[in-house]
Amino acid sequence: MKILLTFCVLASAAVAAEAGNYIERYDTIYNSLTIERTGTVVEMRARAHGGEALESAVDLSDPLKLVVPYTRSLFGALFLQPKPERVLMIGLGGAGFHRLFTAAYPTALLQTVELDPKVHELCQSHLGFKPTAQTPVAVLDGRLFVKRDKGRWDWLILDAFRGGFVPPHLKTVEFYRECAARLNDRGVFVSNLHATSELYYSDLKTIREVFPQVVIFETAGRGNVIACAVKYRTPVITDAAKWPTAESLARAPFAGRLDLNTVRDEHWALPEQAIARGKILSDDFAPVEFLDAMKTNNTKNK
Amino acid sequence: MVNFAFYLVVVTLGVLSMGFQLLGSRLLSPHFGSSIIVWSWLISTFLAAFSSGSMLGGWISNLSEERRGRGRWIAAAVAVASLAFTAFGGRATLNQIELGMSSEGVGLFTACVSLFFVPVTALSCFGPQCVQFLATRGTPPGKASGLVYGVSTLGNIAGVMLTAFVLIPNFRVSTLLSVWLGVAAAGLLALIGLLRLPSNS
Repeated sequence: MKILLTFCVLASAAVAAEAGNYIERYDTIYNSLTIERTGTVVEMRARAHGGEALESAVDLSDPLKLVVPYTRSLFGALFLQPKPERVLMIGLGGAGFHRLFTAAYPTALLQTVELDPKVHELCQSHLGFKPTAQTPVAVLDGRLFVKRDKGRWDWLILDAFRGGFVPPHLKTVEFYRECAARLNDRGVFVSNLHATSELYYSDLKTIREVFPQVVIFETAGRGNVIACAVKYRTPVITDAAKWPTAESLARAPFAGRLDLNTVRDEHWALPEQAIARGKILSDDFAPVEFLDAMKTNNTKNK
Repeated sequence: MVNFAFYLVVVTLGVLSMGFQLLGSRLLSPHFGSSIIVWSWLISTFLAAFSSGSMLGGWISNLSEERRGRGRWIAAAVAVASLAFTAFGGRATLNQIELGMSSEGVGLFTACVSLFFVPVTALSCFGPQCVQFLATRGTPPGKASGLVYGVSTLGNIAGVMLTAFVLIPNFRVSTLLSVWLGVAAAGLLALIGLLRLPSNS
């Protein structure tokens, strides 16, 4: 009888959990989005060529958890600027990065810019994000925000995708100069890149045209590379041995969610030879879609 | 030979018109992005210019011969001058618009009208005159209209594909705008020459 009762309770719990699952699709003015809930995890995906690109995901039972692997690599910026007090993020998605960041740095300002008002709405209604005075969201084109902004930022994170690719005007040397102008003297520009096409090398070459020092963190097995760049030449940031230790940067909310030693191990040398064949992208010449269509053999150099 | 030259010019003007739309999108994107809002303004501007140009061209083709000739030269001069303005002053104009206008809609409207409307209107006003060219040479008006707009639309398609898949991936937008200016000047000069030929030539 006891076994039967236990079985019934477990079965009804499973049915309830399954009943909470859903897939919803939204065609916005900028994206075709899928929101899928499986158990406590809600994913936001954008339809792209050949399938769906995972934009963001949140575990509602632990919103601080970094569900999408590349979001941990964004914290690589800590090794270069360990005290982020003002952070500008271009691209909201499901705010997968935001919860842990604000828990770890509760007094920091994390300003987000999101182009798609529907993404902003779904992020709140389905992925449980509630903007506060510390985490405001502006619904605007990222480049327009940067041009009009008068603030200075410790981190400026570019994580804006539309159906799996970044709009060309957010890939150019002119835009990176505008970003550099908005960084503090010791600020870090952080960009989420895809290392799966020829565009990657042009991205790195273009970033380096503006920022004299660049380091990259490659999220294992995911094709994401997080480029961190600074506008100063000294001190040198490319020698990982001189970075602060992971332990000195750890914060209580990181426990069980973010291992900075793992992030440190994701640091790779720049693929210099491939970068040499890349093109510097400008407002006048940015064949982003065509470079992105050319798949590449992503050879690694540790 | 005259017919071959005539259709070549008509195709060329078709290439220029729609290729210019793609170049326009690249000019606008650093300032306004490449959203559906930008494309809506851009496409509407070009359609408005095609419409105005066709009506203006129809009016010019009904003028007396002397005034018609003057009208063609004015239209060609306006087309070349406004293309030159877009090619050499487009970026600076967009910077001013972006800084001076906080409303995206007003900024886009101003940008599209100042950079694209005038040259495309001026180019489009040659369409009805091309129809008249064929009609005065014995082609029935309906057939002449179908031929000119059919051939011109083939040029439009070629312009889009050539610009999107060959030119933009390999050349700077500023270089392409200069090429557009040169080809438009040569094409309009050739067309005005053809339109002046006596109807029995």
